[in-house]
Amino acid sequence: MSAALLDHYQTLAATAPKAHVYQAVGQQRLSLVELPNRKQEAWRYTPLAPVLDYQFAAASREDGLLVPEDVAALRVTPTDHVCIVLLNGFFMPELSTLPVQAGLEVLDLAQAIQTSAAGIERLGSLSGECLHLFGAVNAALTGAGVYLRVTEKLTQPVELLHINYSFDSEVLSNPRVLVQVEANANLTLLEQHAQFADVLGMHNGVTEIFLSEGAELIHPRLQNDSLRTRHLSSLHVQQAASSVYKGTTLALGSAWSRTEFHLDFSGGHAHCELNGFYLAGDQQMQSMHLDVLHSVPDCSSREAFKGILYGQGKAVFDGNILVKKDAQKTDARLSNDNLLLSRDSEIDTKPRLEIYADDVQCSHGTTVGQIDPEMLFYLRARGIPKAAATSMICQGFAAELIAHCDYPALETKALSILQERLAPVAANL
Amino acid sequence: MLSIKDLHASINGKEILKGLSLEMGAGEVHAIMGPNGSGKSTLSKVLAGREEYEVTSGTVTYKGENLLDMSPEERAHQGIFMAFQYPVELPGVNNTYFMQASLNAIRKARGEPELNSLNFMKLVRTKLKALEMNEALLKRSVNTGFSGGEMKRNEILQMTLLEPSLAILDETDSGLDIDALKMVSMGVNSLRSPERSMLVITHYQRLLDYIQPDYVHVLSGGRIIRSGDKSLALELEEKGYGWLQQEAAA
Repeated sequence: MSAALLDHYQTLAATAPKAHVYQAVGQQRLSLVELPNRKQEAWRYTPLAPVLDYQFAAASREDGLLVPEDVAALRVTPTDHVCIVLLNGFFMPELSTLPVQAGLEVLDLAQAIQTSAAGIERLGSLSGECLHLFGAVNAALTGAGVYLRVTEKLTQPVELLHINYSFDSEVLSNPRVLVQVEANANLTLLEQHAQFADVLGMHNGVTEIFLSEGAELIHPRLQNDSLRTRHLSSLHVQQAASSVYKGTTLALGSAWSRTEFHLDFSGGHAHCELNGFYLAGDQQMQSMHLDVLHSVPDCSSREAFKGILYGQGKAVFDGNILVKKDAQKTDARLSNDNLLLSRDSEIDTKPRLEIYADDVQCSHGTTVGQIDPEMLFYLRARGIPKAAATSMICQGFAAELIAHCDYPALETKALSILQERLAPVAANL
Repeated sequence: MLSIKDLHASINGKEILKGLSLEMGAGEVHAIMGPNGSGKSTLSKVLAGREEYEVTSGTVTYKGENLLDMSPEERAHQGIFMAFQYPVELPGVNNTYFMQASLNAIRKARGEPELNSLNFMKLVRTKLKALEMNEALLKRSVNTGFSGGEMKRNEILQMTLLEPSLAILDETDSGLDIDALKMVSMGVNSLRSPERSMLVITHYQRLLDYIQPDYVHVLSGGRIIRSGDKSLALELEEKGYGWLQQEAAA
C-alpha cells in the first residue's frame, strides 16, 4: 500500500501544472520521504487510515466557483479590511480584498518566486526540516500560494480565509503561506478555515512565519472545516531577538485534524504564546503537536491547550518543549486540560519537557476531568436546567482559552459554533 | 410555606438527619443553630435538592407540594433559593450572563417574559448599589478569584434579584468581617416581607443581632432538640450547646 501511495503522489507531482520552481524541490523530496507510521513518536497516537487509505486527486484552480458575496458571508473582519482568500489552496485575488496601504504586501507566491521578491528565498527553509509525506506533497503540488510581507506597524487586522469547496469528492488542497514580519513591524493575522459546504477531501496546508527583530504577530486561527474532511496544518515559526508571536488555534471542525506547531527562537528576549482549543465529537479526531525549541538564552514561551471531548470523540495532545544546553534563563510553561463528557471519548496527552540547560524555569501539567458536580448543582440551584447548565460549564471552560484570540468577532463565531455543537450533547447527558 | 416531618437523610450510607421536623409559616424568619456536625448543612442541601443525599424517610412539603419530588431547578422555579456556604467558582462564565440566565430561566418556567440584557443591567445595577458592591464583579467570571466577602455578597445579590419565596442562608456569616456581615444582613432584611420566609442557618449568634429571627431552633445529632424565640440564641451564646445536648440525652 505504501509504495502505491508514494507512486500516486509522485505521479501527481510529475503531472501537476508547474507554477513555480519550488515545486521541483517538493518533487525531489517525495522520493526521500517515509510514510508516517505509528511507530514514529510524532504519529504514535494518530490514526492514519483516514489519510493514507485514499489516493486523493490534486485540487485544481476553480475560477468563478465562488462570488464575493460567498466570501463576505464567511468573513469576521469588516469588508474594508484586507482579506486574502485561498480557495482549495489557490490564492484568489478576485475574491480577496487587497491592501492599498503602505507597509503590507500581499503577493501571489508563484509570482513572488518568479520575480525574486525580497525575502522569498526563505521559502522552505523552515519546513524543509519537516520531512514527512504531506510536507513534500504540499511543496510539490502547491500552486498559487500567498506571500505576506509586513514592514510597518499595522493597526488593522488582516484576514486569511481558507475555503475548501469542490464538486469532485476526494481532492487534496495544498495551500502554502509565507509570512515575513520585518524588524519592529507588527500584524494581526486572523486565519479562518471556513465551512462553505459539506465537502470531503483533505486540506494539507503549510505556513512558514519569519519574525525579524522586535516584530510582533498576533495569529488567531479558527479551523471549522466540514465534519467530513481531513485537515492537516503545519505551522513553522522562527523568531528573532525580542520578537513576539501569539498564536491561538481553535480546532472545531474536520473528521480528522492535525495541527503541528514548529517554533524556534534565533535571538534572545523573544516571547511566544501558543494557545489551542479542540473539540472532538463522534467520528472526530483532533490532534495538536507542539515542537518548541529553545536553543538560545533568555526566551520565554507559554503553551496552553484545552479540549472538550464527547461521544466517541478522540484527541491527541503531543506537546514537546526542548531546552538546549545554551538556552539559559528559559522560561517555559506548558499546560493541557481536558473535559470529557462521555465514557467513550479518548484523550492521549503527552506533555514533554526536555531540558539540557541548568538555569531555567519550566513547568508542565495535564488534567483530564469531567463536569464538576458542584458547578452543575450550583447552576441548577439557580434555576438553570441541567442541559443548559452543562452547556454553560463547557462554554466557560472553552471561553477562557478562546478569549486569547483578542478579536471579539472571531471569538463570538467560535463560541456560537461550540454552543450549536454542544447543546444537543448536553441535552442527552 | 414549608413543613418538614420526621425527616431522615443520609450520605454514603451514613445517617445525618434523624427525624427532623420543622414548620415554617409565610413571612417567618427561622434560625437554625447547632454545633459542628449536627446536620445543619445537610438540611440545607436536602432542601435545595443535592442528589448525593438520600432521604430515607419523612416528608417535606413546600407550598402544599412534595418538595422531594422536584429537581434542583424546579425548586428554584418554585421560589426556593439557597445562599451557599461555599459558593462555587465558575471559570469562564461571566457573572452578569450567569445571573441573567438564572433570572430568565426562572421567569420562563413561570410563564413570565424574559428580560433583555438592557433591562437586566438596569435591574442588577439598582440591586448592586443597595449592597454597595463593586460593579467590576459583574464583569468577572462567577466567584472566580472573589474574596470570601465578595462571594457572599454575590450570593445575596442573586437572592435580591431572584426574590425567592423561601430563602435558605447556609452559614452565610462564616468568614465575614463585621462590615460585610452588616451589608449581607441589610440585603436579607430588605427582602423581609409577609410572603417570604427565611431559614437562617448559622453557627454563631452574631448574625442574629442583625437578622432578627421569629423562631430559633437548636439542631443536634440530626434532630431539633429545642425551639424558642430569639432569646434562645442569646442563652446559647452565653451557655454554649452543651447543656441542651445533655438535657436532650437525659
